[in-house]
Amino acid sequence: MKTETKVGILAVGAAALLLVFAMMMGVLSPFSQSHELHVVYNYAGGIDTGSPVRVMGITVGKVRSISFDPGYRTPEGEEVKLRLTISVDKKAWASVRKDSKFYINMAGVIGEKFLEVSPGSVEAEPLEDGTVVRGEDPPRIDQLISQSYGLAGKIIDLVEKNEGSVSNMILQLDRLTTNFNRTLVLLDKTSKNKDMVRLLDNAIKITDDLAHITGGLRSKKAEETYELVHKLLHRLEPLDAAAIRKFLQEEGVRARIL
Amino acid sequence: MKQLRHFFDLVARTLFVLSSTPFRMKEFSRQLYFVANGSLPIVLFCVGFAAIVTILEASFHMKLVIQNDSMVPGFAALLILRELGPVVTALLLTSRVGAGFTAEVGLMKTTEQIDALRMLGIDPVQYLVVPRLIATIVGTFLLALLASMTCLLGAMFVTDIHLGYSPAMFLSSMRVFVDFQDLLLAGLKGAVFGAVIPLVSCHFGFLCEEGAEGVGKATTQSVVVSSVSIIVLDFILSYVFSYV
Repeated sequence: MKTETKVGILAVGAAALLLVFAMMMGVLSPFSQSHELHVVYNYAGGIDTGSPVRVMGITVGKVRSISFDPGYRTPEGEEVKLRLTISVDKKAWASVRKDSKFYINMAGVIGEKFLEVSPGSVEAEPLEDGTVVRGEDPPRIDQLISQSYGLAGKIIDLVEKNEGSVSNMILQLDRLTTNFNRTLVLLDKTSKNKDMVRLLDNAIKITDDLAHITGGLRSKKAEETYELVHKLLHRLEPLDAAAIRKFLQEEGVRARIL
Repeated sequence: MKQLRHFFDLVARTLFVLSSTPFRMKEFSRQLYFVANGSLPIVLFCVGFAAIVTILEASFHMKLVIQNDSMVPGFAALLILRELGPVVTALLLTSRVGAGFTAEVGLMKTTEQIDALRMLGIDPVQYLVVPRLIATIVGTFLLALLASMTCLLGAMFVTDIHLGYSPAMFLSSMRVFVDFQDLLLAGLKGAVFGAVIPLVSCHFGFLCEEGAEGVGKATTQSVVVSSVSIIVLDFILSYVFSYV
């Protein structure tokens, strides 16, 4: 074999390994059949080109490109300025529906960022290749921290401005709890007193008797008695002094009392 | 100081002649065969072992620090591509190819063959240095790629056997840290180191003193200076690619 040929074989081998590496890194993927989606965000939380795309935790694609699109508006009229073009493998494409949500999450000990796609419901329509969808903006940790700093500052201000009132309030609270404790001790003692025990026993007996009496009042006999009394009262109502006098005169009875 | 001036003279002259020299395919192939094909077995053998050591050491350190070695493939791959692949290759070539060049040119100098070339109107830089320079640049570039990939595949194998992470896990961990450009960076580093080796070797060859002792001294100096230059250049290139 000629020297040139041997050297050429070596160069071809190196080029082939370069291609293998490109395929390992996902730069070249000649055999993959994937679909493409455009996910728009206003804040992408540090995701990068090449970050994995996962559906239900399984890597099914990657972020192909990130582009700034200052003039883009969603059909709802919202201004969304960042566009992530992602690829999703054919095997997972059926799980990505119109009601799927696109989150940016963090995983692993080093906090690698990835794009999580929640599976859509079967009733929702499937997405078409190249559709633009709105992603869920991740919470901004820096903003949360700065807000909590502001809140902490306000609390410190409040305490400093009302230092006297706050200490007074604490003092009052302290007294209140002391008094409350004393009351509790007193109650404890009282509940163990013999007279108190008798008093309570009697109260129980009285309430028992009362229950018995009210029970009797609700019996059928009692109800009949009420009715009779009611009738009697009804009849007695039109009776006044003149009527009684007339009655007695008619009957020939003379009563001194009238 | 005189040596430094001679070295920069040689570099300038080589660069000047490089543009006007007709490409001698046969000589280039012969030198490339000597540099690349001849060094391939030893380079692959050494980087294979370097891969094993890298994985074992990285795993040991990670377990020591965070009791978890799941990120070892990523770190190891990055280290292999950015450092081990090109630097080990270049250092091996320094001792094998660089020493050979110095001895060859040195012997030609002491036996007055270089003077004979001059008498025939042939520029020794054009005749000796240029083909070696091009061949070593190309050869080291190819070898750095081959060595890095072999080292990665070796690391993948050791990770599977020793740490129990499958090649798929190795790749997914590697993708977190490594970019495609890292392999190109390894090749580029290799090419830069490849330029240093023949220039330093030929420089010491041209300055070789009479006798076997002179050739031995020139060869030793050439290997030492080439190795030191490679390590310093490696620092500069790593700094430039990481922070600039």
